[in-house]
Amino acid sequence: MATITAPAQKAAPPGILTNRAARKLLTLAVAAAILVPLAVSQWGGTTWPSALTVDVSGPLGTASDWIIDNRDSHPLFLYFFGHVSNAVVISVHAVYLALLAVGWAGVTAVGALVAWRVAGVRLALGTAVAFLVCGLLGMWVPTMQTLALMVVAVVASVVVGALLGLAAGLSDRMDRVLRPVLDTMQVLPAFAYLLPVVLVFGIGVPAAVLATVVYAAPPMARLTALGLRGADKEVLEAVESLGTTARQRLLTARVPLARKDLLLGLNQTIMMALSMAVIASVIGAGGLGDRVYQALASVDVGAALAAGIPIVLLAVVLDRVTGAAGERLGDAQASPATWAYALVAAVAVALAGRFAGLLEWPEAWEAEIAGPVNRAVDWMTAHLYSGVPVIGGTADWAGHFTTWVLDPLRDGLQWLPWWSVLLVVAALAWLIGTWRTALTAVLAMAAIGVLGVWNPSLDTLSQVLAAVAVTLVIGFAVGVAAARSDRFERWLRPVLDVFQTMPQFVYLIPVVALFGVGRAPAVAAAVVYALPAVVRITTQGLRQVDPAALESARSLGATSGQQLRQVQLPLARPALLLAVNQGVVLVLAVVIIGGLVGGGALGYQVVFGLAQGDLAAGLVAGAAIVCLGLMLDRVTQPTERRTTKGA
Amino acid sequence: MSTSTSTGTPPGTARPPAPVFSVDGLWKVFGPKAGRVPADPELTALSPAELRARTGCTAAVRDVSFDVRKGEVFVVMGLSGSGKSTLVRCLTRLIEPTAGTIAIDGEDVRAMDKSRLRELRRHRAAMVFQHFGLLPHRTVLDNVAYGLEVQGMGRAERRERAAEVVAKVGLEGLEHRRPGQLSGGQRQRVGLARALAVDPEVLLFDEPFSALDPLIRRDMQEEVVRLHREEGRTMVFITHDLQEALKLGDRIALMRDGRVVQLGTPEEIVGSPADDYVRAFVRDVPREQVVTVRTAMRPASSADEAGAGPALRPEATVTEAIEAVARAGSAARVMSDGRCLGVVDAEALLSVVAGTADTAGPVEGSRAAGAARVDDGASPPRAKPGAGEAPAERREPTNPALATTEEPV
Repeated sequence: MATITAPAQKAAPPGILTNRAARKLLTLAVAAAILVPLAVSQWGGTTWPSALTVDVSGPLGTASDWIIDNRDSHPLFLYFFGHVSNAVVISVHAVYLALLAVGWAGVTAVGALVAWRVAGVRLALGTAVAFLVCGLLGMWVPTMQTLALMVVAVVASVVVGALLGLAAGLSDRMDRVLRPVLDTMQVLPAFAYLLPVVLVFGIGVPAAVLATVVYAAPPMARLTALGLRGADKEVLEAVESLGTTARQRLLTARVPLARKDLLLGLNQTIMMALSMAVIASVIGAGGLGDRVYQALASVDVGAALAAGIPIVLLAVVLDRVTGAAGERLGDAQASPATWAYALVAAVAVALAGRFAGLLEWPEAWEAEIAGPVNRAVDWMTAHLYSGVPVIGGTADWAGHFTTWVLDPLRDGLQWLPWWSVLLVVAALAWLIGTWRTALTAVLAMAAIGVLGVWNPSLDTLSQVLAAVAVTLVIGFAVGVAAARSDRFERWLRPVLDVFQTMPQFVYLIPVVALFGVGRAPAVAAAVVYALPAVVRITTQGLRQVDPAALESARSLGATSGQQLRQVQLPLARPALLLAVNQGVVLVLAVVIIGGLVGGGALGYQVVFGLAQGDLAAGLVAGAAIVCLGLMLDRVTQPTERRTTKGA
Repeated sequence: MSTSTSTGTPPGTARPPAPVFSVDGLWKVFGPKAGRVPADPELTALSPAELRARTGCTAAVRDVSFDVRKGEVFVVMGLSGSGKSTLVRCLTRLIEPTAGTIAIDGEDVRAMDKSRLRELRRHRAAMVFQHFGLLPHRTVLDNVAYGLEVQGMGRAERRERAAEVVAKVGLEGLEHRRPGQLSGGQRQRVGLARALAVDPEVLLFDEPFSALDPLIRRDMQEEVVRLHREEGRTMVFITHDLQEALKLGDRIALMRDGRVVQLGTPEEIVGSPADDYVRAFVRDVPREQVVTVRTAMRPASSADEAGAGPALRPEATVTEAIEAVARAGSAARVMSDGRCLGVVDAEALLSVVAGTADTAGPVEGSRAAGAARVDDGASPPRAKPGAGEAPAERREPTNPALATTEEPV
């Protein structure tokens, strides 16, 4: 392709050919002019030609039937998956029983003491309060179920992730193999992981734990490898110059030097595990997620909120405590003696609780919030949903959004000829990234067509596009405001912190309360979920603009608007592109989950497949989700070019 | 070259001690199929740019030969990219050399197996790094003890040893700080202490003070001079700073584009630059602070002259001689072992300052006063028997690269 433009450029480079972007588009136009007529003459029409689809549901159905039939007899299941499954069930159950045996007083005390030792007094109090609120809401037992599943999943994720990270950190070849895999896993929506594990393990705790491990291990592996590779070269050289063996280097230098990254990996793994443990309620995880899931299914917002609050508290506490542990690394380490005292104190509290009969959360102390919340929601439904003078109601908004934005967008996408969609994808991906990313994106999009889910995928895509547009408009506006006003940023930061730690699932609760079910609420949840990341990246990007450049602009008498337009935004371009990329990935994850609240399209097909036991249909939708995620990530990925430039 | 470096230097009196490091024909080439470059005479003749264009390889060290004698401070100096840091890393094979031989106390370093090489790094040669290379998660004491820990020494014993060394480099009271809580100079003292703690035969310094402020740098240089005076340990010192090289070095190897362009005492480098490059380099050095009276003296014209006047060591600088001559009001005698080697009078000394002395190379141009500080701190180690400005003519066989490739222009 490049050879086509090369002679023209050599002869006399007209203005249009010197522009990099124009050159790419021209090349693409030439390629399209040849390929499109061919394709159209062969397979016309707007939707993906049926001649080019491969029906995989048949073979998939056979495979899943075979697995179901042989699950109890085939040696692979008997001697491998069976053992894995049993080990998971036993360990989750053991942790769960241990948590119950310690009792609520004991769990609260141990949690608070650990938080105190690694993160200080304030977080210790916060931890204790969080556990007590879980009890107050009558969610003690589900909280412990979720916690037990989390503990097992996190331990497994950390072990798996650290081992993979160690391999990738020490061996260049492993790194080359693992990195693209891990990078891709990180952009895929959580929902895509559910079906393959269900296929092997069936619905239940083992599937939930394994899906969680698969979802949560990549950050640990990535950060372990990153930490091991990022170690100060001169320190390693100095250590080598003293005659260390390879093992000594690893244990006394590389691993300790990577501690910050390792703890960050632990933090991210815990957060991802919590997020997934909640979503995995769809495949039988039980616990808090299951309560939310059940409540949402019957649009019982009060019950969903009662289970959702503990999830949020758990997320915030876990994030802050592990995050603080990373930040306090440089300080003097607590001596083993204080740990021993803390342990003794915790055991004493647990025993005291046991003898005082405080094992189970007393029912008298439970606060019933579902009733009042539902009454509030009913009031809202009655008064805010519709017909509010001048501004309309929330349901009206949702309806208008669906009619005026989502429907035209979806119909428009589905009306476009299939080849033009591919062409647009190729053009966008190539303009932002390289021809490699463009090729991956086009192949991913084509794979969706081949799988025969072209129309539902475009439906999901239309929701993603609408949500991304809204997210970016609001996100950039808020980000610019936060970058310009210190006071606004100070006020915004804790809000963003909390919003960023919440699991995706939780966002569905308020939008259902406000907008009911349908596609608009799914989009709203996606916007709310993706917004904090976009705002944060935008603010950081704008604030990290070279102060010297800004100062020189100011010294030339630029107004603040000119500074923003001519200096800050252009210099923050990489950050803004990253914000777009993150926004797209996060929006897709929630739009898919939106299938649970009437979002339809691919997400619904996954849920439907699970609910009906029709794994083949679900798997096809899952594969389409993977392709869609891959395509959207590649289309918005500017990183590739930067790395090739640096090399 | 061979004539210019030995001009005016009388035959040495010190017996040549066995070299600690003996480097011969050393090459380090980075790039694809690096091994073919040193072996191919056609390739070795190319300039760095041509070599890069032809083979894609970069020769960081090109056919370097020298001996490091026991007890001396051997300085390798050159600008960035001259290959000096690569050279010092080749000595303990932190970077694997491409060709040539390296011997430590007669033992072939390149032939060592892994465990023998570890042994070398653990006990015989310790290195001090430009950016310190400290472990941020360990206290000062544990950083200093790290080399001993690696050797497998027990906790109490290594901490005791480390505490002694920490005191020796003047860090008492900071034992339990972490590197992040120290200033740059203090961190480099930790780096120095870590190298000293293993009691190595040779200390290797890789631009250790380049990252420090000028005042702290001077403190640290004096610290090195003091340590060398007290312990007489052999040192290989890499620097890009000429003043530092002149101040610390018993002998200096000046590198450019991977080759040693001149090897000699500070006096020889300043007094008889081997080529225009070296000449441009040393142009601003006040030569009275580097040139010794051994070079500036003339034979005593009469027995009377040889019998009276203030006495000077042959290693005394012209600056010192000026002071002595000015005080006495007469010519000074250069004395060694009670024998008068020659005399220096006001006229001879003045001609050194003016740059007209015949011993000196054609040094011209301006003279930045006070640019060089070759103060008496550097003199005592140089006066040590065996480590002094040992006879210049012995230098030639150890440095064939120099003799064959560099012609004074």
